[in-house]
Amino acid sequence: MGAARRRKRRHVARAGWSLLAIAVAAVVFLPFYWAISLSVRDPRETFTVTGLGVPFVQYKPTLANWRTELATGETQKALANSLVVAVATAVVVLVVGTPAAYAIARFKFRRPSNQDITLWFLSQRVLPPVATAIPLFLMIRWLGLLDTRTGLVLLNVTFCLPLVVVVMRQAFLDLPVELEEAAMVDGASHGTIFLRICLPLAAPSLVAAVLIVIAFTWNEFLFALMIGSLNAKVIPVHMAGGADTRGVQFWFVAVRTLIAMTPPVVLALLAQRYIVRGLTFGALKG
Amino acid sequence: MRHERRTKLVFLLPAVVWVLCFTIFPLLYGLRLSLYNVKMGAADEFVGLANFRHFFADERALNSLAVTLIFVVCGVTVQLVLGIALALLFNRALPMRGLLRTLVTAPLFATPIAVGFLFVTIFYEEGGLINGLLGLKVPWLSHPHWALASVILVDIWQWTPFCFLIFLAALQGIPADYYEAAALETRRGWTVFRHITFPVLKPTIVLVLLLRITEAFKVFDIPFTLTTGGPGTATQVLSMYAYRVGMRFFNFGYSSSISIILFLLVTGIILVLFKRIRQAYQ
Repeated sequence: MGAARRRKRRHVARAGWSLLAIAVAAVVFLPFYWAISLSVRDPRETFTVTGLGVPFVQYKPTLANWRTELATGETQKALANSLVVAVATAVVVLVVGTPAAYAIARFKFRRPSNQDITLWFLSQRVLPPVATAIPLFLMIRWLGLLDTRTGLVLLNVTFCLPLVVVVMRQAFLDLPVELEEAAMVDGASHGTIFLRICLPLAAPSLVAAVLIVIAFTWNEFLFALMIGSLNAKVIPVHMAGGADTRGVQFWFVAVRTLIAMTPPVVLALLAQRYIVRGLTFGALKG
Repeated sequence: MRHERRTKLVFLLPAVVWVLCFTIFPLLYGLRLSLYNVKMGAADEFVGLANFRHFFADERALNSLAVTLIFVVCGVTVQLVLGIALALLFNRALPMRGLLRTLVTAPLFATPIAVGFLFVTIFYEEGGLINGLLGLKVPWLSHPHWALASVILVDIWQWTPFCFLIFLAALQGIPADYYEAAALETRRGWTVFRHITFPVLKPTIVLVLLLRITEAFKVFDIPFTLTTGGPGTATQVLSMYAYRVGMRFFNFGYSSSISIILFLLVTGIILVLFKRIRQAYQ
């Protein structure tokens, strides 16, 4: 009798927690839903449809806004720029960053110690970007790289390098050393061991690092705004430019918002499993 | 041995040189700029600490400092508490847990600039989502206090998932027998949380606090798009003020000293928490 009642109470509690979780997820996701709803609405219905704006029930959805926006040359160019800059940044940052991570994980440094080197890299993340904005702007201008994708790659590598070094250091530390020692006995060089053994074994962390770098770079705005105004205009700058002049056009904002957000959000969701390690700079395993 | 020494430097140096060129050098250059009065087309004039003295007499600068501090303290506190609460909720056995977790995580990497513009339509006074749905007439973006609250709310929406994910990972690392042992003593959820969950989470809380504080002080994109710092200067955070002084009014010297004050502020706070992180990277 008591047991039955307890079981029933547990069922009620469980249903309550489930409902709460569903409600939380719904509230968090609501802004995305709202953007989607606005983006498939006829502009004339922006304000006539009220409340949640449920498609098919409150209005007939249309893809016209999407077609117009995606057919614009400027949007296509900004998308291409964003893609190129993000992928190039990821490649360069891996080439420069992973060997350093390997060195900190595998060799012994005395002065400064390995720990100090790690913290030095980590401390770069504390620096507010605006603190180096003007000097970097002047440097990029001096290098003749204003309004080029190369300039943007250069800066984004700088911002992502500490993350990659620190995360990959932890990844290499977590690998078993025995395999490398065996290879060493066979006469393999550090270069071979690093490329053939360590990098493949650290693949999950590598993937997480790459995805975070691509998302960060895709989202970066301050420097993109300062140095990439025309030829090297990326998606966030493209968005900001349009919104200045067409701020109240909800359907337009919605389409562009979704174009900008979808790639990084999808990447983050794909990498959910590995991403915790990246987000905590390797301090916590996911 | 000598060979090994060369190898390790070959591996390490490119990254070190890169950081020296593109982070340390610009920072030193910024320090130098902050001591000068930089004029376009004329030689820079050394002014010592005048730019820094000017900061503490500049009402707009002090306002930005206050706005930034309110933003960081309110935003990060709420994110931390909500993050733990959500992690506890999603650590239970729930139907469709994977899907719900994905939905809750979604805002994390949403392009901040796009988030800002999107929330303009959500906070819109007539016909916006919130006022429309709840039948309110809150002047979200046009009243100074509400505008700051809006910026903080958006930051909470975007960054609570970050805290949530990390706390969830930490919770899942707690061995089940801790809870089994506790179940013999008490059934009260709060007691279990206070004496088992919380102590285990403590290092993670410090870590999340640290990561969030450093990021929150850098905030720029969301106030830039959501409110453009307004109305008036109600949401003009320090990095935005530094940007305006530098890139709009071309006062490079003063702009640099504002950024350096921001940098020192963050560093000071981090140093207080420093011992804890040092242990994490032993």
